[in-house]
Amino acid sequence: MAQGAVAADTQYDYDIVKKFAIMALVWGVLGMTAGTYIASELAFPFLNFDIAQITFGRLRPGHTTMVIFGFGGNALFATSYYVVQRTCQARLWGSGLANFTFWGWQAALVIGVLGYMNGITDGKEYAEFPWYVDILITLVWVAYFVVYVQTLRRRSQPHIYVANWFYLAFILATAILHIFRNLAVPVGLFHPESYSLYAGVQDAMVQWWYGHNAVGFFLTAAFLGMMYYFVPKQAGRPIYSYRLSIIHFWALSFMYMWVGGHHLHWTALPDWTSSLAAAFSILLLMPSWGGMINGIMTLSGAWEKLRTDPIMLFLITALSFYGMSTFEGPMMSLKSVNALSHYTDWTVGHVHSGALGWVAMITFGSFYHLIPRLWETRLWSTRLVYVHFWLATIGIVLYIAAMWVSGIGQGLMLRAFDDYGNLAYTFIESVQFMHWPLVVRALGGAFFVSGILLMCFNVYMTVRTAKQEQAALEGKIAAKVAQAGA
Amino acid sequence: MADQSQHKAVQTTGHAWDGDLQEFNNPLPRWWLWTFYATVVFAIVYWILYPAWPVGKTFTKGLATTTFVDADGKEVTTHWNTRAEFIRDMQSGEEALKQKAYLEKVAGASYEEILNDPDMMAFTQSLAKVLFADNCAACHGLGGTPAEVGNFPNLRDDAWLWGGSIERIEQTIRKGRLGYMPSFGKVLSDEDIEALANYVLSLSGHDVDKGLMARGDSLFHSEQAGCYYCHTNSGKGLYSQGSANLTDQVWTVADVNGAPTLAEKIERVKSVIRNGVQRRMPAWEGRLSDEEIKLLTVYVHGLGGGQ
Repeated sequence: MAQGAVAADTQYDYDIVKKFAIMALVWGVLGMTAGTYIASELAFPFLNFDIAQITFGRLRPGHTTMVIFGFGGNALFATSYYVVQRTCQARLWGSGLANFTFWGWQAALVIGVLGYMNGITDGKEYAEFPWYVDILITLVWVAYFVVYVQTLRRRSQPHIYVANWFYLAFILATAILHIFRNLAVPVGLFHPESYSLYAGVQDAMVQWWYGHNAVGFFLTAAFLGMMYYFVPKQAGRPIYSYRLSIIHFWALSFMYMWVGGHHLHWTALPDWTSSLAAAFSILLLMPSWGGMINGIMTLSGAWEKLRTDPIMLFLITALSFYGMSTFEGPMMSLKSVNALSHYTDWTVGHVHSGALGWVAMITFGSFYHLIPRLWETRLWSTRLVYVHFWLATIGIVLYIAAMWVSGIGQGLMLRAFDDYGNLAYTFIESVQFMHWPLVVRALGGAFFVSGILLMCFNVYMTVRTAKQEQAALEGKIAAKVAQAGA
Repeated sequence: MADQSQHKAVQTTGHAWDGDLQEFNNPLPRWWLWTFYATVVFAIVYWILYPAWPVGKTFTKGLATTTFVDADGKEVTTHWNTRAEFIRDMQSGEEALKQKAYLEKVAGASYEEILNDPDMMAFTQSLAKVLFADNCAACHGLGGTPAEVGNFPNLRDDAWLWGGSIERIEQTIRKGRLGYMPSFGKVLSDEDIEALANYVLSLSGHDVDKGLMARGDSLFHSEQAGCYYCHTNSGKGLYSQGSANLTDQVWTVADVNGAPTLAEKIERVKSVIRNGVQRRMPAWEGRLSDEEIKLLTVYVHGLGGGQ
């Protein structure tokens, strides 16, 4: 059916891509707003208002779930369904099943987040979903895998484009991670609680094997897939190095699985486990950078595009933040650095330089490329894309700098001694010190949220304009047809 | 693509997707490759030095070692591990040795010697400040003043419920205290309580209704209310009971000083008489070491002008 003359929106299933893209923005606004709110609660605790549902402990898993699985997850569904169709020149396989992934995913998010706010949680970071939601997610994920692989099998190209390797690695690894982290025995058929299959330090190890590989495959590999399509497309240039993409793909996939233990330095975890993880984290540095090099070097020879194309600014800035946080990560995974950084805001800052700087920025850039093509129009405003870019960048810089000050500051205070060999500071003094950095961090979050709100407005106007143009066009055609008939 | 001049020598892989998606086949950047090799060398050295790879039921121990003194006083050398490192640090780390020297000096000194030795006092201030903030401040407030009047006594005023001598303070910290006053709400009528409140406030110099005061006075000293058992005939209280001195301006349960009018002060005192008092301070013996309790005693003694 892939005749050249067929219009893109009939050749490809764009409906499902549109739905996921819109929901990515909706969850993005909700999740980032929740994040800014809980950040403000840390700076000004009265904002709890003594309402259990909106306290930090309840709202925080809601924030992470909405931004990672809501914003990030929906963005990955949208772009992967788009990329696999475009690069295989084949229509998405099984539109019913694809629709099931859409509704199932949104349902899991809604049930999960409302549950957390009301105290229903597994208490496992980034895997807080209760067992019945875990089952729903498993079904959605199997459907996702089937749709994706069947579409790949339909391809009219002999070779599978590199972006698809990354998406497929993400789908496979996430399935393994999700299943093994959530193996549990429910207390009863009508109880939200369940008992984990693992106990003690082994549960902790499974937790961080899961947690870090969620970062590795969900937030890194998958978004590299996004990068490998949208960067060369937007730049109008070939990917820098096919060889590099193969090497860093396999190195990344192999290394990531080993590094989870670095989240448990100086704990009950055996030392061999954590030093093994620390060394693998160092080994992971260059494979991570392979993606950054391939992305940034794709633009070499066309740097002037950064002056004229705000979408390119998003994509390249995202890659820069990706490079920075994948350098910072291995450093923090060394035991001596970790002794200072662990349990402080430095970790939070590190995560957000990846989450805001890499994940969100690459998504924004990709969406600004994607949205007009889905609705077959042009962006309503390029100037607003620039404004969004600067709001987001200022927000990230405020955020990360504040967390460095807060985290490194607290870490140094808690290990400072006075002339008598006594600890120089009390815990509460370190908390008091953190107040202003926490205020600045919340401000950074507010900048970032205002950016995505602006993007939503721009997308709304773009879609509205597209529909008006479509209606005008149809009107003209109808008039012509009527004329011809008369 | 007019600007491919610098890639003239480089070939693409020959595939094209989605119209114009192509790949160059540039070689791996040299610096990337060599840095990667460097990290491999780093990892191997790391694995040789430290515990790393599981082998059957055990693991490779690594060449690095840690030496510390075990519970029997014997010197033990083991493969490098974080627990041994921690023990070693606490035994022979630079800061630990400094602290230990002072702690031994303090442990061997009497309270009087500590109070009269500026160096030991400076050490006490430095350590007890942290001990107090981490253990006591949750109730008594940072620096000894609670956030609000009510559940927890202020340690910075000169009033001592259980006594302000070194011995009494140490006993308070060691064993904890149970502050108790029965509730009179069901025993006495509202008029009686009103009269008592007026009398109690008169003790600290408030200008109250003379008739009610007289009636309160006799109730205070009667067997019916029995206030004088604990608060004594003069109203000055007893350290052995933790009963408040009613003749000073210090109020630890009802915020009398914060009340804007006399009527409001009377209401607040009435509420205490009606409901009684139940306060508990936990015992710290066993939770803090003897030296730590000693240091905290000196610190708290200094906070409120000890006796």
